[in-house]
Amino acid sequence: MIAVLGLVVGVVVGLLVRPEVPAMVEPYLPIAVVAALDAVFGGLRAMLDGIFVDKVFVVSFLSNVVVAALIVFLGDKLGVGAQLSTGVVVVLGIRIFSNAAAIRRHVFRA
Amino acid sequence: MPMSNDTFNDGGERPDRPRADAPEELTGRQRLMAGIWPPRVTRAQLIVALLLFVLGLGLAIQVRSNSDNSALRGARQEDLVRILDEVDDRTQRLEDEKQRLDAQRTELENSSDQAEEARKQTVEKERQLGVLAGTVAAHGPGITLTVDDPGGAVRPDMLLDALQELRAAGAEAVEVNGVRVVANTYFSGDGGAVKVDGKKISAPYVFKVIGKPQDLEPALNIPGGVVQTLEKEQATVHVARADDIVVDALRPAERPDYARSSGQ
Repeated sequence: MIAVLGLVVGVVVGLLVRPEVPAMVEPYLPIAVVAALDAVFGGLRAMLDGIFVDKVFVVSFLSNVVVAALIVFLGDKLGVGAQLSTGVVVVLGIRIFSNAAAIRRHVFRA
Repeated sequence: MPMSNDTFNDGGERPDRPRADAPEELTGRQRLMAGIWPPRVTRAQLIVALLLFVLGLGLAIQVRSNSDNSALRGARQEDLVRILDEVDDRTQRLEDEKQRLDAQRTELENSSDQAEEARKQTVEKERQLGVLAGTVAAHGPGITLTVDDPGGAVRPDMLLDALQELRAAGAEAVEVNGVRVVANTYFSGDGGAVKVDGKKISAPYVFKVIGKPQDLEPALNIPGGVVQTLEKEQATVHVARADDIVVDALRPAERPDYARSSGQ
């Protein structure tokens, strides 16, 4: 419950405060958000499976974000930033879908 | 690809982990409901809330900056270069078009100026021809020739002579007793009963003449000229210069029945 509240508060604060994102970080923000979403779906699935561990969640969340940003950064340096970030988004999207499917089986039993 | 989250995906294969909050077999839905209600302040909940707060923040910022009117904010360098190139091309095209339209406008203005000039010249010419044809009034320097004829001895041919003399001296517009003199004006009748263009006029005969006074007056006064001839017939002749003679007797503009302009 508090976790859901945290998400809602984050969205509201982001919309209201309009924080200025440093230009350095800006290109990596969308990919980092997608990576974090993947981590969150994985965590939700683990919770439904009854194997949720907060430490694992924290580590996976942070490492997902960092690795995704790192890949995009490397891609930009190598000149294939657009293609590589597309690839990252595709892979993360597949994982989000499979996690969502597992969650669906738990929640709707279908 | 980051694979650190695999712990969750294959977590079910870790038999050593005790199921902490589910000693008896709970379904996923029950676990979800238990997690959501009642709210419990545990370390796990707080940490997850913190991370989700960060996620929500990033999500909101990203959505915001994407829906901002500046879609260029998050664009990468090569995209920006491409967009810049497109904008440059477009600017170039619009600049070309502007030049073309400017040239066209200048051309049209010139041609309309020329048309205006031609119209003005036509109006001017019409006025000049109108003075000759007697369809417009005229004024300017000239003389007044007054021939008084108490004895009725002045014949039409004498008046015609006077008129020819005036024309030869450069008279531009002439009026005799209210009758405009034009190219086909004729004098008829007899002494004392002179007709101009069929209209009877009586003495004194007053010629209002526009022309150069310095030419007109001597032309009448030369020895053996008009004035002497008329005075021989006991007529009194008076020539007066004036700076502004008004010739305002008019003729209707008549369209010739047979003669047609040859277009030259």
